This record gives sequence, C-alpha cells and structure tokens, in this order.
Amino acid sequence: MTPPSAMKSGGQIGSLLASLFFICAGLITLYDTTSYTDRDSQVFPQTVAIILVVTATVSFIGRFLKPSDEGGFGTGIWWRRVLLIMTMFLMCFLIPKIGFLPAGVVAFSGGLIAAMHEGWRAKTLILYPVSGAVVITAFYVLFKFVLYVPLP
Amino acid sequence: MEFSHFLSALTPLNFALALFGVVAGTVIGSIPGLTATMALAILVPITFSMEPASALILLGAIYTGAIYGGAYAAILLNTPGTPSAIATTFDGYPMAKRGDGDLAVALACFASVFGGLVGAIALLFLAPPLSQVALAFGPIEYFWLSVFGLSLIASLSSGNLMKGLVGGAFGMILSTVGVAEISADIRLTFGSQTLIGGFGVVGALIGLYCVPVLIDLVAVPDRHLKVEEGVKTVRIGEAFALAMRSKFNLIRSSIIGTLVGILPGAGGSVAGLVAYSEAKRTAKQDQKFGEGEPNGIMATESANSATVGGGFIPTLVLGIPGTPPDAIVLGALLVQGVRTGPAMFTQSGSIVFTFIYGLIIATVLMLPAGLLIGRYAYKSIVTVPKAVLVPTVGFMTIIGTFAIRNSVSDVIIMLCLGVFGWVVARFGFAASPIVLGLILGPIAEQGFVQGWTIGAATNNLFGMFFGRPISQGILLFTLITLILPPVVKWQKSRRYEEADQ
Amino acid sequence: MLRRTLLKTTAAAALALTFGVQAHAELNGPVNYIIPFGPGGESDISARLQQPFFAEKFGQEMVVSYQPGGGGAVGWASLNGLNGDGQTIMGVNLPHIIIKPAQKDVGFTTESLNTFYMFHFTPDAIVVPANSPYQTLADLVNDAKANPGQVTMSGSGKASANHLAQIKFDKMTGALTTYVPFKGTGASVTALLGNQVKAQWGYTTVGAKQGDAVRMLAVAMEERHPLFPDVPTFKELGYDMVGGAYRGIALPNTASAETTAMWSDMIGQINADPAFRQKMLDGGFAMLDISAADMPAFMADRVAEYLKDAREAGLIK
Repeated sequence: MTPPSAMKSGGQIGSLLASLFFICAGLITLYDTTSYTDRDSQVFPQTVAIILVVTATVSFIGRFLKPSDEGGFGTGIWWRRVLLIMTMFLMCFLIPKIGFLPAGVVAFSGGLIAAMHEGWRAKTLILYPVSGAVVITAFYVLFKFVLYVPLP
Repeated sequence: MEFSHFLSALTPLNFALALFGVVAGTVIGSIPGLTATMALAILVPITFSMEPASALILLGAIYTGAIYGGAYAAILLNTPGTPSAIATTFDGYPMAKRGDGDLAVALACFASVFGGLVGAIALLFLAPPLSQVALAFGPIEYFWLSVFGLSLIASLSSGNLMKGLVGGAFGMILSTVGVAEISADIRLTFGSQTLIGGFGVVGALIGLYCVPVLIDLVAVPDRHLKVEEGVKTVRIGEAFALAMRSKFNLIRSSIIGTLVGILPGAGGSVAGLVAYSEAKRTAKQDQKFGEGEPNGIMATESANSATVGGGFIPTLVLGIPGTPPDAIVLGALLVQGVRTGPAMFTQSGSIVFTFIYGLIIATVLMLPAGLLIGRYAYKSIVTVPKAVLVPTVGFMTIIGTFAIRNSVSDVIIMLCLGVFGWVVARFGFAASPIVLGLILGPIAEQGFVQGWTIGAATNNLFGMFFGRPISQGILLFTLITLILPPVVKWQKSRRYEEADQ
Repeated sequence: MLRRTLLKTTAAAALALTFGVQAHAELNGPVNYIIPFGPGGESDISARLQQPFFAEKFGQEMVVSYQPGGGGAVGWASLNGLNGDGQTIMGVNLPHIIIKPAQKDVGFTTESLNTFYMFHFTPDAIVVPANSPYQTLADLVNDAKANPGQVTMSGSGKASANHLAQIKFDKMTGALTTYVPFKGTGASVTALLGNQVKAQWGYTTVGAKQGDAVRMLAVAMEERHPLFPDVPTFKELGYDMVGGAYRGIALPNTASAETTAMWSDMIGQINADPAFRQKMLDGGFAMLDISAADMPAFMADRVAEYLKDAREAGLIK
C-alpha cells in the first residue's frame, strides 16, 4: 500500500503538474496549427502534438493511480539558486546597456557569492575575484579577437 | 594511393598543421557553445594562402579535435560540448560523479582515436562505393531513421518510457517554433520577434544540460566531483585495458558512426545515439548502462569520431556535404579552385590522398594530445574550488550561447529553457529526450512532408512509405529495438516462474 | 583687404577639409560579413569567393559568419539592430526579401533593408541526372503533360526562386509538375542524384558543381551561359523565362550615406576584377553590377515583377 503521505508529496504534485503542462503545450500547439495557411506545415505539428497529449495524459493517469513520493525539489539552499539565475538574467538585460564585460562581472559575482558555501577568508576574498577577472577577460579576448564574435 | 602521398602528408608543415588543428579543435569543442562549424568558418581565410592539401589537413584536424573535445564537458559538466557528445553524458557524467572522471576522459580519447581511424580508413579505401549510400537515402528513409531515433529515446528512458516519449514529443514541437522550412508559415511564435529564430540546438543543449547542473551545484556545499584519494596518475593503462577488452563494441560503433556520417544531415549526435543503443541492447548481464558503464562512453565516442571520416565521403565524392563543417570545407576548396566530385579522386588525387593521410595522422596525434589535454582538463575541473567553477561555467554558457547568433535573446531563451529543464527534470522528465526531439524533429518533418508529396504525386503513397527496401530495414530494426527487450524480459520471468514451480 | 581675403580663404579651406574628412568613411578593423543561411549554399560560396579579393584590395579581413533561421528571415530581421558603423554587412537574396515580408510579418520589410549592391544572380535551370530519360526540355514537358503531377521536381524552399520558377513554367506549358521543397539547394541536389525525384529546379551553379553527373535542360538567361554552350535558354525553346535568385549585400539602415557609398564602391571594385569574375563564372554564377546608385530603380522593377508573379502563383494575396 502506498503511504498516504505520497498522495500529497511534493514529488507527486509536481509530477502531475508537469504532465499537465505538457498536455496544455500539446493543446496550444494544436490550436496554433489552425492558423497555418499551408497544409504541409500543419501535418507534423498536429501529429506530434497529439502524441504529446496522449503520452502526457498516460503519464498523468499512471502517476495519479500509483502515487509515490518520487521526485521533488529536494534539499538545497534556495536563495543561492535564485541568486545565480537572477544574476545571469540580469547580465542579459545589462549587456546592451553597459557592455558585455561589465555585465559579465555582475553575473560572475552573483555566481561566486551563490556558490560560496564556506565563509570568506582574506585569501579567498582576494583570490577568487581576481581569478574571476582573469577568466572573464580570457574568454572575452578569445571570443572577441580570436573568433571575431562582436561582443558589445 | 601511392606512398608518396603519405610522405607529403608528413611534411613538417602538414604535420604541424595537423597537430595544431587537433589541439585547437579539442579546446574549441570542449567549450559549450563553440562548435566545429564556427571554428572552421573563422579559419578558412587562413587556408587561402595554403596548398589545398594543407588547408584540408588543417580543417580536418580541427574538426576531428572538436568532435573529441565535446566529450570533456559532457563527462565533467554533464553538458555536451558539441551536439555529437549528447550520448556521452549518459554514462560519462555518472562515471565522473563516482570518481571515475579521469578514466572516462581517457576512455573517450581512446575511443575517439579508434573511431576516427575507422572513418578515415573507410574514406581512404571505400569512398566511391560508400558514397552511393548517401544517395540511396531519400526523404522517406530519413523519416524512418528519425522514428528509429525516437524509439531509441524511448527505450533508453528505461522505467520512464512515457516521460521519455513526452520529452521527445515536446522537443519535436520546440523544433517547429519559428519560420517553417518546408513552407512559408510561421509557427508557435505568438507574435514574438524573439521566437522567430526558433530554438537552436546548441543553445537548448547548453540550457537544458548545463544550467540545471549549475543550479544544483550552488545549492549544496558538497564538492562537484568525487576525487578518489590516492589515485595518482591518469588511469591511462586501465583505460587502455578496458578498450582492448571491448574491441567488438568499438568496431561495431565505429562502423555505425561511419555509415551515419555518410548520410547528409544526420550528424554525430544521431551516430552516438544509435551506437549507444546498440551497445546497450547487446550488453552483457553485468553492464549497467546509464549508471556509468565504460562501454557506453566507448560506443558513443568512437561513433561520433567516425562521422568525421564518414562525412567526408559524400563531401569529396559527390560534392554534397555530410555535415555543416563539411560544407565549409567545400567552400574553402571551391575558392582554391578544386573541383569535388568523382573526378576528384582521379584528377586531384594527390590532394585527396594527401589529405586523407593527413587526417589519419591528425587522428593518431589526438592520442597523446588528447590524453594530455584531457588530464589537464580533468585536473582543473576537479581541483578548482566550486565557488569559482560555478560562475566560470555560468559565464561560459552565456558567452557561448551569445556567440552562436550574436543575440542576447538567444541567451535569455537558453536561461529560460535551463530553469524549465531543471524543474521538469526534478519530476522525471530528463533533458536528453527533449534535446533529441529537437534535433530529430526537423529531419522527421522534412522527410515526412517530402515523402508524402512525392508519394501522393506518383499515386504510390503506401509503396512510398512501406515499400522501399532500406526503409523496411530501418522499420524492422525499430520494431526489434522496441519489442525485443520487453519480450526477452517476459520470457525470462516465465522461466523463473516455471523454475520456482 | 588682403588679410580678410586670406582669412576667408583659410576658413573656407579649413571647412572644406573638415567636410572632406567627414565625408570620407573608412574601415577600421575586420568586417563581419553575415550570411543569413547555413554554410555551403550559393550565398556562402559567393562570399567565400569575395573574401580573398577583399583582403587583397582593402587590406582588411572579411570574416564570414552564419546566422541561419527561417530561410534568411532571422538574419534580415536582426540587421537593422546591428551597428551601422560600416563594419557589419549582411548578404541579401531576391526574391526572398521581397516575398517573405509580403506573406507575413517576418520582422523586416523590403524597403527597410539598406541594400547597396547586387553583385550576381544564379539563373534558374532545370537539372536532371545524367542517366535521366529526359534528353531535352521537350521530353520533360511532354511527360508532364501526359502524366499530370507525376513529374516530381525538387527545389530549395517554398515561395523561393525555385518554387516561383516552377509555378511560372507550369503556367507557360500548361503541364502540371509536382514541386518537392528541400532545405537548401544542396539537399535538393542530393535528392536529384539519388533519383528520389525526376528533375530539379536548380541553378546553373548546380550544373557547374556536379559536372558530368547531371544534365541541364534549359537555363533562364538571355543568352547561353559561357560555361555551358550546349545548354539552350528557355527563350530559345519558346518560353519567356529569364531570372533566378539575385544576391547582394546590405548594411544596417543606420549606416551613413558615406558608409553606404564607400561599401558600394568597394564591392563594385571587387566585381570589376576580371579574376573575380572568372572565378564566379567558373562556378556557374552570372554577374550583375547594380550599385547603390542604381539600386532604387532595380529594386522597384524586381518588387513589381516578383509581387506580380507571386500573386499569380497564389503565394500571396
């Protein structure tokens, strides 16, 4: 017998929600195909969307009928995750404004702080940002001057 | 095919070019977001002032190195450095997580060298007849091939078959976003200009594989990869012994890789996938594919390296590029005034054979170079403190994704996909089926629509889809791959039941 | 009196110098030549042929990069957002840049693209494999008339030059062929060589590249192509078809008039180089010399022509 807690566990709900998301994605695709003018461009998305809806539904039903607490977000420090992702997004928005290199510093610092679990010591406080600056500059030079990528 | 060509491939210049090419290619391939195509595109102008054979050797060496280099990030960061290394993550990353990362890297090197040599030898001896394979594959064959690829995705998502199929289907839908290739419609952009470019494979690769790894790395204080205490040098000897024992796997995977490389548009990712699936299907009892099985890495890396030589077959014989890097090589040749085609092997024979020997030399050079670079890469990833590793990799993903199309929107899409991928992976929907669906989607769609158009026009729809010998073969193989394992399992359980009674 | 004249002359000279300096645009550093397709296509090949001549004549590197997507739409939609300082240029193709915006909102309009030179075109051609039963164009037309829809012809993309040519020709002959779209000329050539289709709507470049493996039945030019003296033109065979895919280069529309003029000049110089022309002709291309000055009239003609063709073909409303 599955433990009653499994019915409401994060893993269960999340799994069902994910399947639901995919079902919706399939339905949205089907709806979008109605606006295409060429029959050729409808065939494939319609077929695949139907497959998506069917398999996602089967997955949903299967998980619903056999609840377990598999999956879930698990342990892990949330603010660090958010900081990492937020600074990376922030960098994207800053690139057109302040240039690639400064924006890169922003993202790097965010990631550095997010990943730094041990406390800061004098040595690390200097060493890490410096190596970060070296890394960023090295990549920048590689991409911009060797590979001719037009970094803003 | 005279010996003189081999000697001209050994001139100091050509030798230096081969070495430089392999090293540069390996470094480029290991950085996710940098592809062999990009590297070749930049270096083509340098080749204008060279002899055609030397130019080819340089470009071919870079290509070879890049395909191998993709394995580093795949093994150590769970991010394929190039799409051809997707299947290397299946067993590479688990191996790294349990402390066998250096073994995995060394194995990848041996397998890549072996596969590259098989591909180059096929190019040397069998190019003209094998090129006919490229022509025999029509739209329908490609369609069934991609169906086969999808069935592999399903069978590889053991235990989560449904979720694997969901991921694959979703990936295919993602591949339709943007302007359709086979018609003029714009699909699934919801009016957004950002989405009109669609989801590029490389960007999706980085987003779906790398970002989740980073998200998880920041969240826990543990080290990234376990390092075995007391293990001294890179386990080259051990890797070599393992490779020797898996000769059959290596040979079979390399042949698969060569054949898939011959097919224009298929590429290293498909080759790795098919080889991996075959290795898994014929695995012995104690081999646990998906949990860090050395044979998995050997299968994928030998297959994707064999596509280099295989891809040059239609390129040189027919003037039809096997993969995008081949297209760039063709362009470089055209500027030099070298005409590809069947005549190439007779008229420009010296160029061709010098090049092929140069390719072989470059592949052989990859052994010491690759092992050295691999050791260095492994050491740095393992010893660099996580606090610096995470932002470095994060920065690399951003700059790498930007460099694909010089677009910040691509980076934003990559990050969104990354977060999305992390969330759904938590609930059983892995990244690989989605990415593979993204890669196979266009192949399936174009094959289907083209096949349908031809079949309908010739009033031979059924015969078109089911009557062609190669298609029948692929279809049969698909069914075997899908049906055989559960049948065998069922038979075994029946026997156990009977034995119990 | 003298002093005032001197002052005035000096002032005038100084002004003239400054304006002269400002009116002369210059390159500083390598230029980025973006091809809005994947590598290996005609756009790529022609850019690669220009590359060494550019470096030789103007002393700067020309870096070719690729931005494929949407059959060129992604590249063209992003062009006007790029830096207009003259260091970035992009290849453009007709009829793509005319027909695509007319069909849907693809993120750019034909007029918004600052096209400053059209330097070649690839004439349409019907190509068949060497072992094809069609020896002349008449063979193909007769077969199509006898078996409507059964003559399958591959081509690159939909609503493209190949597709338009197929529709136009079908109208002229009254026959019905089936067009099978492929992603790029390379893929359509593969299909042709593999006998997946009976013929191909391609270009003269296909004939040049494939040599003896294929046979061209007709080319859409005013006169026969120098590389193929045995291949008749459509006109000779009674069909008024001249055209193909035109290719040129554009700058972001934020580029100054001087920059545009400078680039038009430079590309014009490359185009005038006999060695360059010979290489292009050897590749099967046909040359064209429409500079920035002649561009508006040229584009107006083409726009009218293509939109009319596309409307008649039912590709746009």
